[in-house]
Amino acid sequence: MSQELTRMLDTLTKDIAGAKVTLKRARRMRIDVDADALPALLELLQGRGSYVHLSAISCVDWIDDNQFELVYHVWSYESNSLVSAHTRIPRDPGVYLSIYDLYKPAAFFERDIHEMFGLYFEGSPSMEKFILTEWEGPPPMRKDFDAEAWVRDTFTERDYNPEWLKELTDAGGGIAIRPQDIRK
Amino acid sequence: MRPENYQAINHPPSHEYELNFGPNHPGIEGNYALKVKLQGDQVVEAHADGGYLHRGFEKLMEGRLWIQNIALVPRICVPDPVPMEMAYSLAVEELGGLEVPIRAQWIRVMQLELSRIAAHLFTFGGHAATTGMYTTMYWGVADRDLFLDLFEELTGGRVYHIYNIPGGVRRDIPDGYLDRVTSTLDYLESRLPDYDNLFFTNQVFVKRATGTGTMTQQQALEWGVTGPNLRATGLKLDVRRDDPYLVYDEIDFDIATEEAGDAWARTLVRRKELQQSIRIVRQVIERLPSIGGPIRCPIPNPLAWNVPAGEAYARIDSSKGEVAYYVVSTGGDKPYRVHVRGPSSMHAVQVLENLVTGGRLEDVAQIMFSLDACPPEVDR
Amino acid sequence: MTDIDYKAKGSILNPLKNLQFLGRRPVTQPLEPRPASANYRGFHLNDWEKCIGCSTCQKVCDNAAITMVRIPDIKEDPVNGIRNLRPAIDYGRCCWCGLCVDICPTGSLSLSREYVHTCTQDEIDSYFVLPDSSGMHGTYGHGWRKTADADLVDLSRHPMAHLEPPQRSDNFDEIMLGFTRQEAILEASRCVQCGMCHDACPTHMDAPEYIRAIWQDDPEEAVRQIYRTNPFPEVCGRVCTHRCETACSIGRRGEPVAIRWLKRYAMDAVAPERVKEIAAESKSDYMTGKRIAIIGAGPAGLTAAFDLIKQGHQVDVYEGLSEAGGMTRWGIPEYRLPAAALARDVDVITSLGVRIHYNRWIGRDIDMATLQLEYDAVLLAIGLGLGRSTRIPGSDHPQVRKAVELLREISQGSVFAVPRSAVVIGGGNVAMDIARSLARLQKREYGTVRITACALEDRAHFLADEIEIIEAIEEGIEVLDARGPQRCEQHADGRLLGLKTWKVDSIFDEQQRFAPRYDNSDERFHEGEMIIEAIGQMSDVSVLGPELTELLEWNRGRLKVDAAGRTNLPWLWAAGDCVNGPDVVHAVADGHRVAASIDAYLNIREDVA
Repeated sequence: MSQELTRMLDTLTKDIAGAKVTLKRARRMRIDVDADALPALLELLQGRGSYVHLSAISCVDWIDDNQFELVYHVWSYESNSLVSAHTRIPRDPGVYLSIYDLYKPAAFFERDIHEMFGLYFEGSPSMEKFILTEWEGPPPMRKDFDAEAWVRDTFTERDYNPEWLKELTDAGGGIAIRPQDIRK
Repeated sequence: MRPENYQAINHPPSHEYELNFGPNHPGIEGNYALKVKLQGDQVVEAHADGGYLHRGFEKLMEGRLWIQNIALVPRICVPDPVPMEMAYSLAVEELGGLEVPIRAQWIRVMQLELSRIAAHLFTFGGHAATTGMYTTMYWGVADRDLFLDLFEELTGGRVYHIYNIPGGVRRDIPDGYLDRVTSTLDYLESRLPDYDNLFFTNQVFVKRATGTGTMTQQQALEWGVTGPNLRATGLKLDVRRDDPYLVYDEIDFDIATEEAGDAWARTLVRRKELQQSIRIVRQVIERLPSIGGPIRCPIPNPLAWNVPAGEAYARIDSSKGEVAYYVVSTGGDKPYRVHVRGPSSMHAVQVLENLVTGGRLEDVAQIMFSLDACPPEVDR
Repeated sequence: MTDIDYKAKGSILNPLKNLQFLGRRPVTQPLEPRPASANYRGFHLNDWEKCIGCSTCQKVCDNAAITMVRIPDIKEDPVNGIRNLRPAIDYGRCCWCGLCVDICPTGSLSLSREYVHTCTQDEIDSYFVLPDSSGMHGTYGHGWRKTADADLVDLSRHPMAHLEPPQRSDNFDEIMLGFTRQEAILEASRCVQCGMCHDACPTHMDAPEYIRAIWQDDPEEAVRQIYRTNPFPEVCGRVCTHRCETACSIGRRGEPVAIRWLKRYAMDAVAPERVKEIAAESKSDYMTGKRIAIIGAGPAGLTAAFDLIKQGHQVDVYEGLSEAGGMTRWGIPEYRLPAAALARDVDVITSLGVRIHYNRWIGRDIDMATLQLEYDAVLLAIGLGLGRSTRIPGSDHPQVRKAVELLREISQGSVFAVPRSAVVIGGGNVAMDIARSLARLQKREYGTVRITACALEDRAHFLADEIEIIEAIEEGIEVLDARGPQRCEQHADGRLLGLKTWKVDSIFDEQQRFAPRYDNSDERFHEGEMIIEAIGQMSDVSVLGPELTELLEWNRGRLKVDAAGRTNLPWLWAAGDCVNGPDVVHAVADGHRVAASIDAYLNIREDVA
């Protein structure tokens, strides 16, 4: 069954330059494809392959490669299988095409990725802020944004000073290892 | 938007006005806002506004050990936390090649279905309240508490169970536990006629919900609707059946559907799912005593646990729809990326905006609740 | 299940059916607090008797809610792996996941069955709690606690491949075969990085760091960490007394992490030439022009040489025998420590520029006065080369031998008549070494083993490592406990017949002084053509010559030194077994200590000049 699916996908994608189909496990296929071929691939998957349900678009920041990876997870209710289409685009300028005209749910995911990673989708219905309405800083899900450092710089910590601690400190003991001392 | 940032704008004279539903509104579980533009009581435009419950879980998870994240994930959906734990665990198990013992898989199914029952009871209560029937809400919340008692006994926590861990579950079932589950299920079954009388066959509800917030099969598929909301349009689609995980392929259950696609149908699907979940849990109770063995496969020391590099996409059917976790490992002791796909990120934004638009003001709250959206899932 | 036709059955009157509830008794819950379920994750309880302050709970805590607090009243005990730290919980951060309980190596932590703690803003300090076994409010008892099937600590050690008795009993091949890469990574992953090993180790090896490096599959980094504190890793990776493992927090309830074997793995995994490069990384790039003479090329002497050469001094080591290593070369049988492994360690040290002059006895080939003249400082590291005698009647018979001397002969390959039967007096590791070495020779020569080892101690208090005793018995040696040697019996023709022993009632008197008491009604005779005394060693201080011996201060037969290892003569230091008693890793630690002291002394002299 899964083998047939991969064969089907192989035939389906033979016109897509550079598309590589991998069977990951039962009902999970991975297709790696160039960024400019991805919309065509999704159109094929949706139209001829019955992958009508866009489950999610995931974005991964591969900062060391200076790339964003976009993963389009599409599900077929007919063949009961998931295709994850992987593509990579340069981190800079970080612009890509919207697939809203193919998959309506893309609107949410693209908006979310724009907000969290700063990646702009041309043709997406709304690139306005949604979750981080009042956030002025850099897109927080980027690997170069250090959330913990931001918290340290923004907020002050208040120490507890209960009686038992005063007594221990007076006796020569007291706080030895703070949690922040062991954070890597 | 914080009050101090609000600026009054002088609009030109118009028949339209804007109304904020939320961010504190009983029409939805949690803090979430829907801005509606109205002409009279007719909704002409609607914009969902999230972010009130954003805690940055995806970012936090990148900075924590694989095992530490099990304490974070249930918080992503408060009313139905088990699918969150499960999807995360399943994804890590796939990456790490961990074989979950059969006993643990059955315990997990029991948890998932108990969690579904608790979540549905909570939703009914809220939904009834949007049509002015508060007794149902009190009942729903009180009966849900009995299921939280069961969770407390099994997992040590009432709401945040933190019970699933990559490789299995954290404790075996206590002595006599299954008997108590049985008696709670018996009790719930005996209560169903009361609920039917009070709510599901109540003409106030039936009339209000029929034809409210209707979507067609076509629309539902286009908008990425999943779970009970999708099944309420007559589609027999369920991740448990189509993409079986754990031992769902050994379990006998019907996929509850309705045809109408409106608020009434969505609620009815959930009502029917209660019975299906009870049926599933009863099968677990029957099978579990004969399944011995460990509750967890051996896992490495959590402080020195490198999960092999790779990526996994784990899907679960929660009480709200399709929950999915996309987990990427680069072979380190922390995830490189975790993407949480909550069903509500569809239902509470695009679907809600579409269904509300063109409808009437008094139906907005009901539509919100009939979609059973969970804002923390959207915000993460 | 029958489906209800909800629309058809629907009626505006349906809800009225529920008016029946007016006649039912209301559900009433009492307001008193109730204990939560038996498995509830409430507030922390910590059994301070069990807690060792390893702070593993703090490491697993995902919300950074745990602070380790020093309790001055608790006694620190690094040898047994106990710190006076105890966890304090910040309930403003805690999320009650219970991972701290599941990972706690000792099992001291658990959670209570209480739901509620609340207070006003003024009392917010009450959120910071130092839990003991009565917990936060002291009333509700245990809820969530560790169970065997949910323990997050891996209690069992990964076994190492080794030779079974039939494969090993007639040869001196190394018994332990080493970890494979996969095994080492698995074993290293058991470590919780508490650092008890570091505290317990005499030379304070950075064991958590090198274990982590092994886990990260970076053996070169592990070797780098190892060489920071120990230039004898091949030796210590095999025969160290591994106090680290005694202190290991995983060993509280299970088998400690195989720290010693992991060290050996790191050395196995990195090519010797690369080890030399790593060891040389921190070597000084200029020479100070100072010269130091070290007497004895054992672990203490060579460790000091290693440190001093890295600091840019010139080091000459004088060794009386033909090879370096001291007791590790001559006293430890090859099946435990192959000479080749030791040679690799020595090679690394000499590759840095340390010169070893072999077969040069002080007092015979070169005298102390010359050394004092020619060098800026002299270090005595002469070890414990002589065996002690029991001085029981008959122990002056030529076939009554001392273990260290016999072991040296075996190591040197000297030819001697292997006795058909032998009795070993002693229950320590040296006794096992000689018994097992002789057993191998007997097996090879005669095909059978006839050796009896008589220890003073009873089985529970044996001085030898447990594994040594087990393996000795596996190899056919009769190991007897609580036997006190009384007389070496000989035949009228002068042949040695064997040993007569009495049962030991007690070894020490009330003041813990050595004063064995025997039960002479339980007398036994152990047949032996040879009797070997393995009851302790002493230094051959004759090398010092009468003049120097007179000048030096002594402490009960041992050289008296200060904390830095210096004698009362400003140019002379002493280190290693001859000062501390026998222990390799102690000797290494001592080598470092005196090297630091010598270096400081030479630098001061430089300043003055």
